[in-house]
Amino acid sequence: MSDDLVRVAVDEERCIGGGQCEMLEPEVFLLDEDEVISSVIGSGELPRPRADVVVHRCPGAAISIVEPQRPSE
Amino acid sequence: MALTEQALAPADLQDPATFSQGVPHEAFAEMRARPTLSWTPPSGGDRTGFWSVTRHAPVSEVSRDTDLYSSAVGHIQIYDIDEDALSARASMIDLDPPVHTRLRRLVSSAFTPRHVQSYETAVRSRIAARLDALVRAGGGNWVEAVAAPIPIGVICDIMGVPESDHDYMIELTDHLVAGTSSKPLEPTAYGNTTDLRLLPFNSPAAHGINEYARALGERRRAEPADDLVTKLIEAEVDGERLTDAEFTNFFRLMVFAGNETTRASMAHLALLLMDFADQFEQLRSDPSLMDQAVEEVIRYSSPILYFRRTLTRDTVLQDTPLRAGDKVVMWYAAANFDEEVFDEPLRFDVTRPLRPPNTAFGGGGAHFCLGAPLARLELAVLIGAILSRGIDLRLAGDPVYVDSNFVNGIEHLEVEVR
Repeated sequence: MSDDLVRVAVDEERCIGGGQCEMLEPEVFLLDEDEVISSVIGSGELPRPRADVVVHRCPGAAISIVEPQRPSE
Repeated sequence: MALTEQALAPADLQDPATFSQGVPHEAFAEMRARPTLSWTPPSGGDRTGFWSVTRHAPVSEVSRDTDLYSSAVGHIQIYDIDEDALSARASMIDLDPPVHTRLRRLVSSAFTPRHVQSYETAVRSRIAARLDALVRAGGGNWVEAVAAPIPIGVICDIMGVPESDHDYMIELTDHLVAGTSSKPLEPTAYGNTTDLRLLPFNSPAAHGINEYARALGERRRAEPADDLVTKLIEAEVDGERLTDAEFTNFFRLMVFAGNETTRASMAHLALLLMDFADQFEQLRSDPSLMDQAVEEVIRYSSPILYFRRTLTRDTVLQDTPLRAGDKVVMWYAAANFDEEVFDEPLRFDVTRPLRPPNTAFGGGGAHFCLGAPLARLELAVLIGAILSRGIDLRLAGDPVYVDSNFVNGIEHLEVEVR
C-alpha cells in the first residue's frame, strides 16, 4: 500500500515561501520567484511516504494531502 | 489545578546563571519526565508566571498552532513589557499570520534552499580566509576568529552592509544579548535618545542598529543595489511601503537572527570536534553523512534556548489545563534532548536519522527559522573545510558561556591548532 499515489495541495494563504517542498519534490512544487508562494505543478501526485515527508517538512504547515488516488502499477 | 499540585520547575529558568555551563540537562530531564508541564511562579516585575514545555511533541504542537499560541499577544520572551514597547519593537517574529506571512514573504525568496546555493562560493571563501588565519596564528579565541565573523559576514553581504562596517555590526549585535559582550553600555551609548524600555533587549545598541539601518536605507533609496535592504526599502505590503520602524525592526531582526544563532552553533562545533573526534573521523571517511552531521551539530548546540507564546483561549496541553493569557515557554534546548525522540540524547551521533527533526530552528509552523537553509550551508562548508585541512583543535582554556537564558552562546573559547 505504501506505493499509493496521493495528491498534494498548497494553501496559498499559509505558504511562507520556505522552499522546502520545491527542494524535496521539484517535479511537483514550484516556488514563484516574485510572489514567493509555492504552487503545485503537473498532476501533483506523489507516493504517500514522500507526500508525508513534504507535508511534515513544510514550515508553514501549508501543504495537505487532498485525496487518495488509484494505486500505482 | 491548585497551586500545591503544580509541578514547579526545578531550576530558576529566568536566571542566566542556570545556563552558565550550557544547557541545564538534568533540570530539563526531570521536567520532561513529569506527566504535566512545569510551572514557574511570577518574579521580578512580572504579573504572571509561566509554563515550561520541555518535550518534543508539545513544543511542535505549540509552534504550529499560531491561533491558540500567539506571538503577537504579549512578549515572545518570558518577561513582560508594556504595550507601547511591544509595538515599538515589533518585527515579524512578534506577529501572527496573516500579518507575519505578508512580512515574511518580503524576504523569504533570499533564503530558500534553492537560492542559498548561490551564496556558497562567498561562504566558502569567507570560511577559508578565517580558518587559514587561525591556522597561521596557531590558535586563538575560536569565537572571535571563526564563529563570530563568518555568519555576520554572510548575512551582511545578503543585506547589503559593506565589508568595512561588519566589525561595527558584530559590536552592536554583541550588545543585544546580555553578556555576549563584556563591555556594559551607558544608556546614551551610540547616541541613544530612545527610552531604553522601548528598545529590544532594553539595549542602546538597538538604537545604534536602527540608526545604521536608517542611514543605509537612505543610501539605497538614492542608489538601489541588488541586496535585501534595497528590497525592503522598495517593498510594498498591501500597497503600502514599510514604515520607518517596520524597516529598522526588520533590519535589526535579520542581522541579529542571521548572526547570533549560527555563531553559537559554530562556537559549539569547536567543542564537539574536540569531545567527539571519532564522530568527525567517521564523517571524514563517509562524507555522505554531512547532512546528518550538520543537523546533529545544530541539535546539540540548540542556539536559541526558548521562545514564549501567549494563550489566546483556554486549552489543555500535556494534561495541563491552561488559561487564556497564560505564558507558554517552548524550551527548544530541552525538546532537542527528549529521550522519547532522540535515542541516548546526550550522545553526539553523526548517523542519527534526520527524522523526526530537531527543534533548534523551532518546532515547525509559520515561525520556522527563515535562515535554516543558510545556517545548514554555512555549517556544512565550515565542517568540510575543517576536515579537509585536517585541523586538530585543543582546548586552551575553559569556555566562557554567554550570560543569557535565551541564547546558548559561547563568548570565549581559547583553542590551539595542531
